[in-house]
Parts: sequence; C-alpha cells; structure tokens
Amino acid sequence: MSAPAVRTEGLTKRFGALTAVDALDLAVEHGEVFGYLGPNGAGKTTTIRMLLDFIRPSAGRATVLGGSGADPQVRRRIGYLPADLDVDPRWTAGDLLDFYGALRGGHDATWERTLLDRFELDPTRPVGELSTGNRRKVGIVQAVAHRPPLLILDEPTSGLDPLLQHEFQLLVRELVGDGTTVFLSSHVLPEVEALADRVAILRSGRLVALSTVDELRRSARTRIDLRLNAPATAVDLAVFDGIAEASAADASVHLLVEGSVDPVLKAAARLTVQAITTHEADLEDVFLTYYQPANRPANQSMRGEQR
Amino acid sequence: MIVAARMVRDRRRSTGWWTLGVLALVAFTVALYPSVKDQGEIEDLMRNLPDAFRAMIGYDAAVPLTSPAGYLHARLFSTVGPLLFVVFGIGIGAQAIGGIEESGRLEPMLANPVTRGRVAVERYLAGVALLAGLVVVFAVATFALAAAVDALAGVRTGGLLGACAAVGALAVLHLSLAYAVGAGTGRRGPAVGVAAAVAIGGYLVYSLLSLVEVLAPLRFLTPWYWYLQRNMLAHGVAVAAIVVPLVLSALLFAVGCSLFLRRDLR
Repeated sequence: MSAPAVRTEGLTKRFGALTAVDALDLAVEHGEVFGYLGPNGAGKTTTIRMLLDFIRPSAGRATVLGGSGADPQVRRRIGYLPADLDVDPRWTAGDLLDFYGALRGGHDATWERTLLDRFELDPTRPVGELSTGNRRKVGIVQAVAHRPPLLILDEPTSGLDPLLQHEFQLLVRELVGDGTTVFLSSHVLPEVEALADRVAILRSGRLVALSTVDELRRSARTRIDLRLNAPATAVDLAVFDGIAEASAADASVHLLVEGSVDPVLKAAARLTVQAITTHEADLEDVFLTYYQPANRPANQSMRGEQR
Repeated sequence: MIVAARMVRDRRRSTGWWTLGVLALVAFTVALYPSVKDQGEIEDLMRNLPDAFRAMIGYDAAVPLTSPAGYLHARLFSTVGPLLFVVFGIGIGAQAIGGIEESGRLEPMLANPVTRGRVAVERYLAGVALLAGLVVVFAVATFALAAAVDALAGVRTGGLLGACAAVGALAVLHLSLAYAVGAGTGRRGPAVGVAAAVAIGGYLVYSLLSLVEVLAPLRFLTPWYWYLQRNMLAHGVAVAAIVVPLVLSALLFAVGCSLFLRRDLR
C-alpha cells in the first residue's frame, strides 16, 4: 500500500496545438475521496482517459494502483463510471452486468441483486428504453458490482434527481467506509463537497489548486442579499466598507463576502433588514478566486505539491 | 472468448436475416435450373454477347451455361452470391472496432479487465466466425437443393466446396480490409467506404480489363480475378483463390491490430 492509489507525474496531453492536460502532478492516497473539479473542457475526462490507457500521455506518466491502467490485473480493481455510459441499447441491465461480470471473473450475485434493488432497476429492460436517470443508475451499479478498491467516477450524479443523488452519496460513503478509494470528477461543487476529503481544481488543463474541502469552503466567497425597508443609500453601503463588496439595487443590498460572514452580520445590524437571502458559494466563485492571482489565498497555492 | 461470444450474440438477429437472404438466393437460383437446362438458345445468345459482358457474368465457353456447373457458377457464384458475402463481411469488419469505437461503446468495455489486444483479436475472430457460418449455410443449402433438382451432374464435389471456400475467402479479405481501416481510424465510415471502393473497383477492373487484350494480364491485381478466373465447379479447386485472400487477410488483420494498439482511442 506504499504507492498512492493514483499518481500522475508531469502528466501532459496535447491534441495538436491544444494542451488538454498540462504537467499534472497528483497523488491520491488509498482510502480517500479525491474531488477533481473543473469547468467543462478543463481536461478532467482527458485525465481519466489517460489513467485508463484509452489515450496515451504526450509526456509524463500515470500509475493506477501501482501499475498501468492498461493492465487487466489493475483494471480488475477499478470501477469506472463514464460521464456518458454508452452500451448497445438492446442490452438489458442484466446483459451488461453478466458480460462485465464474466470479464471480471464473476460478480457476487447477492451484492449485484442488492444494488439493483437499491436503485430500483429492472434487469430485464433494454438499456435503450431507459430514461437518462435510469441509465445513469445502471452505470453506477456496473461500476461497483465487483467491489473494486478504486472507483473512478466521471460526473457521477449528473442526470440524477436529488433523491438518487442522496442514495448515490450514501452508497459511496458506505464503500469508502469499507476502504474504497474514490477519484471523483465533477464540475458541480456540492457533489464534491458532500463526499470529498481533498479537492484538486483544474483549469485549462492546469492544476490551479489542491486543498481540502474545508480550506476551499473558507476561501469561497459567499453572496448575501439584504432586503431593506427603503431604497438603499450610499450611507447604507458605507457600513460595509472594508468588510465586503457591496452594491445596491433599489431596496436590496448585494454583498460579496470573503471568509467569515460574522463582521457582515454585525455591520448589517445597523440597518433595517427585512429579509436575508444567502447563496451557497458556487463553483463559479471558487474558480474566480483561483483565476485572479490577487485573490488567491497563500496557504492554498500548493500547485506542484512535493511528495 | 467472452468478448467474441458477446459480439456473436449481439449480431444474432441481423445474421439471422442474412441467413434467410442467403437461403432465398440459393433456393430461387437453384430451383430455376430445371427450366433453364433444356434451352439451347441461351448458349447461342451467350456466344453473341461481348467478351466483357461474358467475363462479367462468369461465362466460360468450355462449360455450357445450361450445364449444372456452368449455370451454378454463372448464376450463383459469380454475381449476387459473392456480392452478398462481401457486403456482409464489410459490414461486420467495419463494426468490429471502427463502429463500436465511434459509437462510444468500446471504452466502457475496455475499462474491464481485458487488454485492447484481446478485444481486437476476439472481435475479429467473431466476425470471421459469423461469416464462416453464413458460408456453411450457403454451401449446405446449395448442395441439398442442387441434389434435389438434379443440378449436380458434372459438378465436382471438391470443386463446389472449394468455390464455397473461395467465396468465403473473398469476403474475409474485404472484411479484413474494413476491419483494418476501422481499427486504424476508429471510425466506421472510412472502413465501409474503403472496403466498398476496393470491392466495386476490383470487380469493375476485372470485367473492364477483360475487354482490353493488352491490359488483361493486369487483372491478376484484383481479388475478383483470383476468384472468378476458374470455374471450380467444372475444373476443380483453384487453391490460390482460397489461400491468397486468406494470407492477405491475416496481413490486414495484423496491420489493423497494431495500429489499434498504438493509437489513442477516439
């Protein structure tokens, strides 16, 4: 267990003039949930495809479970959920599980049954007739059916309703409790926030941040809207000088808060506030934090982390 | 052979339809023989046709069209028959890697404990096996029906088997070409396109070059010449018509496979 579950060293992939992944250094430890965040097109799927040897690095290298993603013995221990599971639409979920099970040397029938029941899947229905959400569930079930020690999940809950997202998160937590390592790629923060211990943020193929979720959350800017009993004035806004970025629109004050909201609340107490709306720090804001070097918290510039 | 078995199962239904088509072709063709065999004027008609046209339909002056060997060769083994197998072969060869990769269905499979090489080999063999199965159906049906309507007189058994094997080899060659292009590019379109162009071009070159005396030696460049130059039903097996396409097929498979192993998936 000395080698990390996933390690990339200077991993680079160029498609012609485009550098999709640029000198990526990562180490995912055994047993952790590693969030891999980035906007669409940042190179997340490209990284995963290199881990699984679907495409070869232009430079650098990647090892998975101490070996190569091309090695069947390594693949046997990986559960992969692609962003868009595409299989022959005439296959039933049962066909898919039988086929993959045969390739993997057999699924535990009880566990497979449990998973199908848990996600309320009918194994006799052709995959092509399933809704997007149900196809997604088939993808989840096939990814964990052989109880792999490493899960590589690409946008796992896109297309799932909140109930199913919750069910999926419960499943992942159980598996992690049993020692499973998870490489979780996503472009939505809440999904990663709910599961991951550490997060890497990728932008244009480059690692722009590597930190724990807690650190990330602290650095995220929170948006708060205050509704006043009268149109906001410059005097109202001045209350927040040096505490938050404030702007007014009619009777509302929009605040952009970095770090703790405590000073903001104390300052707001001087106004007559009728309603407060807070917006969960969204990924856009987190990305913005990392896009602008001036805003970048020093304790999180761990790019190119040394190990 | 799990990957191969899965591919055979996936193509069960379409192969069933192809089997029906082959049976229908054999049945209609062979059943018509009794009404043709007493019509001497067909022979006169043939003698008056241009050489190129006679070559195109596989006419051989030494073997009358009204004889079983002449009739079966011209009607079953020279036109629609090989075309059917070549089309089937191209479809399956293009799908084996190019088609499945283009549709995005290859990567989920490859995330399992299988090497790319194993998938490449098994899916090729599955395609060849399906084609071979179709040829066997064709051979058995031809033997049985020809025997039933008394259309085996003067037909060499070995020659008929050889002709069936040769039509299979011709189709395997085109299957392998489509496979190699598909495996090299990861796309179905170019695989079908290149293989179909070679099939049609080969056939045209064979028939048109027969017209021009000085160019006739060039005919050996086309697989259709290896296959059609000799009426095996009347004259016995032409080993080259079976072996040469199979050797080339093995080469094409090796090339396609090695390209597939080296490149990025699409």
